[in-house]
Amino acid sequence: MNNQNADKVLDARGLACPMPIVKARQEINQLQPGQVLKVLSTDRGSVKDFQGWAQTAKNLQLVSQETQNENGKEIYVHYVKRVS
Amino acid sequence: MPQAEWSSAELKQRLDNQEKLFMLDVRNRDEFDLWKIEGAQKIPTLNVPYFEMLEQGGKDDMIDSVVAYAEQALVQQLPKGQPIAVVCAKGGTSAFVAEGLRKLGYSAVNLAGGMTAWGDFYEFKPVLESSSLSIYQIGRPARGCLSYLILSQGEAIVIDPLRHTEKYLDFAREKKASIKLVLDTHGHADHISGGRALADKVNAPYYLHPYDGIHPLDVLPAQLSYEFLRDGQEFFIGQSKLRTIHIPGHTLGNLAFLLDEKILFTGDSVFIESIARPDLGGHGETWAPIHYRSLQKIVQLPENVLILPGHFSSPREANAQGLFAKTLGELKKKNEGLMMAQKSEREFVSYILSSLPIFPPQYVEIKRVNAGLVVPDEEKAAELELGKNICALSKAYV
Repeated sequence: MNNQNADKVLDARGLACPMPIVKARQEINQLQPGQVLKVLSTDRGSVKDFQGWAQTAKNLQLVSQETQNENGKEIYVHYVKRVS
Repeated sequence: MPQAEWSSAELKQRLDNQEKLFMLDVRNRDEFDLWKIEGAQKIPTLNVPYFEMLEQGGKDDMIDSVVAYAEQALVQQLPKGQPIAVVCAKGGTSAFVAEGLRKLGYSAVNLAGGMTAWGDFYEFKPVLESSSLSIYQIGRPARGCLSYLILSQGEAIVIDPLRHTEKYLDFAREKKASIKLVLDTHGHADHISGGRALADKVNAPYYLHPYDGIHPLDVLPAQLSYEFLRDGQEFFIGQSKLRTIHIPGHTLGNLAFLLDEKILFTGDSVFIESIARPDLGGHGETWAPIHYRSLQKIVQLPENVLILPGHFSSPREANAQGLFAKTLGELKKKNEGLMMAQKSEREFVSYILSSLPIFPPQYVEIKRVNAGLVVPDEEKAAELELGKNICALSKAYV
C-alpha cells in the first residue's frame, strides 16, 4: 500500500530503539479511532518491533509497512491505525 | 552503588566463572528465537519484548512502563539479590529496562551494546606459549567462530581471521609481532573473512585454495586477489613448519594446516563434537563421499595430534582453560561424525545426509562477499553475520 493517507506523521528518523515505539504510542493515543499515524524510522529493528507491538496493543492495527530509499539511506515507514 | 552495565567481556567472564545470573532479553520473539546468549551452563532466561512492557505497563514513559509492568507481571519470575543481565539488540532499550528494574530493587545490569556488541566480542586465548612458539585461539564466542595466530620470533601467521581485522592488528602490536602471512582454510559461508583485508593492512600475502576462489552456486570467479594454496605446500615460521593438507568436502578447496606434525588446524572439517556439513556449496550429495575420503587423511594422523577447529556449536565444548581443543585420539572415540568416518563410506554418506541442519539462506550471499563478488557496508555485513554459525552437522547437538 503506497502513499497511504495518514492523519498524522511522526518523524522518528535518527531515533534509536525504543523511542520510535514510545513516541508512536504517545501519538496514537492522541488520535481518534479510525485515524492513521505514519511513522518514519531509520531503525531497521523497528520493522519487526512494530509488528510485535501491533499484536500486543489492543487499540491499534498495523495497516502497512514499506521501505523507502532516501539518498542511499533506508527509511522504514509504518502506518498504524487506531481502531478503538 | 550497584553496577549499571556490563561490557560483553565482563558478561563473558561471569559466564565462564559460572556465576549465578539471570537473563532478561527484551528483544522481539523472532530475534530471541534466532539466537540468544549461551553459557557452558544453562542460564535461566526470560524473553519479554520491550513493547509488551511498554503497552501493558501502559505509561507514556518507558521506564515508568517497565516499573508498572514488572510490578504486575514479573515479581514471581525475577530473582532478587542476584544479577539480572538485561539484553536487547543494541543496548539502548535494555538500559531503560534495567533502570526501571533497579528502581524496584533488582540488581539489574544492562549489557552495553546489546547483542550487536556481544556478537562482535572477541577473545584471545593461548593454546601454548613458549619462547620459541606461541599459538592463540581467537574466537567470537557469540558466533562460535574460531581463528588462530601462530607466533614465533616476532613473526605471525594468522589462520581464518574474522571480519574485525583491527582485533588482530591490536593483538599483534601488543605481542610485538608482524603478521607475515594470512591463510584461509576455505571460502567461508557463515561469516565474512577478514583475510584479504587483514593481508592488505599488513602488506602480507593472502592465501586461499583456488577451488574456493570460485563461488560454487554462482560459478563465478572471485573478484579479489589471492595466492594459490595447494596440497602439501609448506610455510615456515621460526623453527616450525606448517603443511597444508587438501581435504575437500565442506568446500572443494577445503584445507587443514598441520604444524610440526603435532597440531592440526582443521578449519571446517573436524570440530570438537561434530564434523562439517558438505552441503553449503549446494552439492551435498556429491560432496559427502569426497568429505569421507578427506576425513580418512585426518583419521590416519597420530592420535596425539591436537585438533584446533574453526568452529564450536556450544560453549560447553570448551575445556577447563576455555579452549576448544582436543587430541585426535579423544575425538575419534567421542565425536560422532568422526566415529562415522571410521565406518564404511556408504554408512557415512547416509549418516551425513540425514543429519543436515537448515541451510541459512544468507550463506550464499556471505560466500559472494568472501569471493569479492559483493561488497557490503558495515550494517549489511553485521546483518549477514547475525546469529550463530551452522557449519556443523546437527545430530550431535540435539
